[in-house]
Amino acid sequence: MSAPVEIVRRAVVWVPDWPVAAAMAAQGIAIDAPVAIMHGHAVAVASAAARAAGVSRGQAKRRARRACPDLVLLPADRDRDERAFESVAAALEQVVSGVEISRPGMAVLPAEGAARFHGGEESLAEELASAVAEHTDHEASVGIADGLLAAVMAAREDLIVPPGQSRAFLRDHPVDALAYAAMDAGQVAQVTEMVEVLARLGLYRLGDLTALPYRDVLARFGAVGTWAHRLADGQDVKPPVLRRSLEDIAVSYAFETPSQGLEQLTFVASHLAQELDAALLEASSRCGRVRITAHTERGDTVERVWRTDVGSRAGAFARHMTDRVRWQMDGWLSGTSAGPERSPVTRLTLTAEDVVELGDEQAYLWGGSSGADARAHRGLEKVQALLGAEAVIQPREQGGRLPRDRVLLTAWGQEPEAARRTEHPWPGRIPDPPPATVPALEEPMQVLDAGGSEVVVDRRLRVSAPPTWVRLRLDPGHDSQHVSRRHPSHRGSGERTWGPLRPVDSWAGPWPVVERWWTPAGRRGAYLQIALAAEGEQSGRPASAPAAVLAGFSDGRWSLEGVYD
Amino acid sequence: MSTTQQRLAAARGALATVQHRMGTREALPSWPVPERVAPALPDGLVRGRVTVVEGSTSLMTAVAASASADGAWIGVLGMPAFGAAAARWRGIDLSRLALVPQPGVQAAEVAGACVDALDVVLLGPSLALTDAARRRLAARARERGAAIVSAEQWSGAVATLTVVGSRWGGLGAGQGRLRSHVLDVRVVTRERPRLVQLALEVDDALPRSGHAYRRQDAARIDPRTAA
Repeated sequence: MSAPVEIVRRAVVWVPDWPVAAAMAAQGIAIDAPVAIMHGHAVAVASAAARAAGVSRGQAKRRARRACPDLVLLPADRDRDERAFESVAAALEQVVSGVEISRPGMAVLPAEGAARFHGGEESLAEELASAVAEHTDHEASVGIADGLLAAVMAAREDLIVPPGQSRAFLRDHPVDALAYAAMDAGQVAQVTEMVEVLARLGLYRLGDLTALPYRDVLARFGAVGTWAHRLADGQDVKPPVLRRSLEDIAVSYAFETPSQGLEQLTFVASHLAQELDAALLEASSRCGRVRITAHTERGDTVERVWRTDVGSRAGAFARHMTDRVRWQMDGWLSGTSAGPERSPVTRLTLTAEDVVELGDEQAYLWGGSSGADARAHRGLEKVQALLGAEAVIQPREQGGRLPRDRVLLTAWGQEPEAARRTEHPWPGRIPDPPPATVPALEEPMQVLDAGGSEVVVDRRLRVSAPPTWVRLRLDPGHDSQHVSRRHPSHRGSGERTWGPLRPVDSWAGPWPVVERWWTPAGRRGAYLQIALAAEGEQSGRPASAPAAVLAGFSDGRWSLEGVYD
Repeated sequence: MSTTQQRLAAARGALATVQHRMGTREALPSWPVPERVAPALPDGLVRGRVTVVEGSTSLMTAVAASASADGAWIGVLGMPAFGAAAARWRGIDLSRLALVPQPGVQAAEVAGACVDALDVVLLGPSLALTDAARRRLAARARERGAAIVSAEQWSGAVATLTVVGSRWGGLGAGQGRLRSHVLDVRVVTRERPRLVQLALEVDDALPRSGHAYRRQDAARIDPRTAA
């Protein structure tokens, strides 16, 4: 966020007190009624009438009621705000072609080209304001200036700041104004905190802030400081983002009697999928992802996001989506996949996300999805149809210290939850190369000293004795010739016995890994890399035992974390 | 030793080129293999055929690594403990990798679907495949041009790589880390069986003696500093 970008002349369309306006429109409340949106027990936003009666932001509910007895209190609902603002954005798109919605209540658009087209900035502002008034029941004010902050402040004052005057225009504004240019809640909190410090330092106006050397602001406030300094100077921190995808399309079905039967859910799903397909076709669009949501009687939701086949809109869409609903619900109902407690489903919803117009989909940077890719996707979906969705796994790399943590496994075609970032340093990571075989679950093993008693690593990472012998669980694959004919589900069933003692050749460690010790899921362990001595030369037969292993010691027990085979 | 190996491999490669040019040997289309594996598979990973790699998961992934870098799709069947981080480390592109850890009794159907759709299919040990199913699978692979890498013996394989010895270096008594990996591989092709040595893992960046590292490591596990 720190690199300066070319200053763009922007128009900002601002609807004052948007959450109130949206809520009043949704509830059908007259525009002059005193209304306040509550967040927790405090007033978040108040309507003009309520403000006139003495209700102010941050006031407790009781005090607000005392100031204005007829006050209508409504809960905050960000979704409703965003949804309702779509109508304003649509109205603006009647005038200009690209609109960036910075937050509900405020839209930003580049002014230069649009002003030329509409014959001047004054007439553009007029067109925008009248489009909003005409197509929606809201009233908007428009400001045009260089840079984001100046444009936002201009919109609040319904002004047009001439080119090159932004710095002078902002100079006399209070530093509080910075909060209006912060677009999400986290940023607002950071900026508010900084503004408080600035006030205590005696810097009340934006001009005071810009008078400070840039480097000093960076040293004292970090990234937020540079952001504020740039904005107060009438500069921009990022170019406007113009792409606005279409609205998500959702279809849903409410069960009259809550259902727990897979057959019934699948039947409903196939109808919903056809309905969604028809809706997408109607809008002549295509979606990148589909979110399948099931609401249960207990109030939980079972939700998954699935990628849809990119590049094709064949008739198979409905069938594919039905399959995915069936997999998702089957996995949840049978308890094989994680999810909330099982209970009858009251509502099933399919939402098409990332909706784009048919024909302007974004292909890969270098060419489209190739024939081989499409073939592979189809083939793997076929395997999923045979074995179930969870049977085909796509591994992704993620950050982590242990080999098992460094891979995120998700069902093929499913959008994964946010992975831990690999770019982070992950200090204390077990050194590369990673083991080629990583048991899916921890497998017990024995690490013994010369006397045959178990090696112990204490809290100070002292190894009780050098490891001399290692004993692994015997894999049934090695002692049975007939295992290839056997049903694989037999693996692991029955008591597995310990293999022979293997002498240790050399070892390294212990490496401590202490993670999330402040949570119940915390883990504290020490890890050893152990190279095992070669067995007697067996000509022609494969080496049946691993050459090196990664052993973990945690809670007084050794476990096999990986095999370097 | 390695120079002899390399010279032998180079000579074999030259011979193969001449044979291809003269038409005395059919040229099979193949995926390239990494340089470190090339002594064992001078012809590369032959498409439409079965290559057996017994006794090392690392070698299996190494054999498929260059193909993945060249854009091949890879499926891994019946290897529930497949370490994807290691595959990434060997150069396999995880976005074109799919795992089917437990194909179960439907192994033949699943393997068939994978051979149809993917370019390289790694088959783990203990898959429920009958001999007839294997023959059908091999025929299907030949038709589709998919390379099969099996962890188990397979009659009619174009090459059988059996790891008979595997040594890791770089560890001491409580010091160092795994740094070098050398495999003794018995290679059986249509030619005479031979034994080759593959240095699968070579850490060039560090000095061989690693004295500085030992001292550093020793300091780290010293209980006084660890406390």
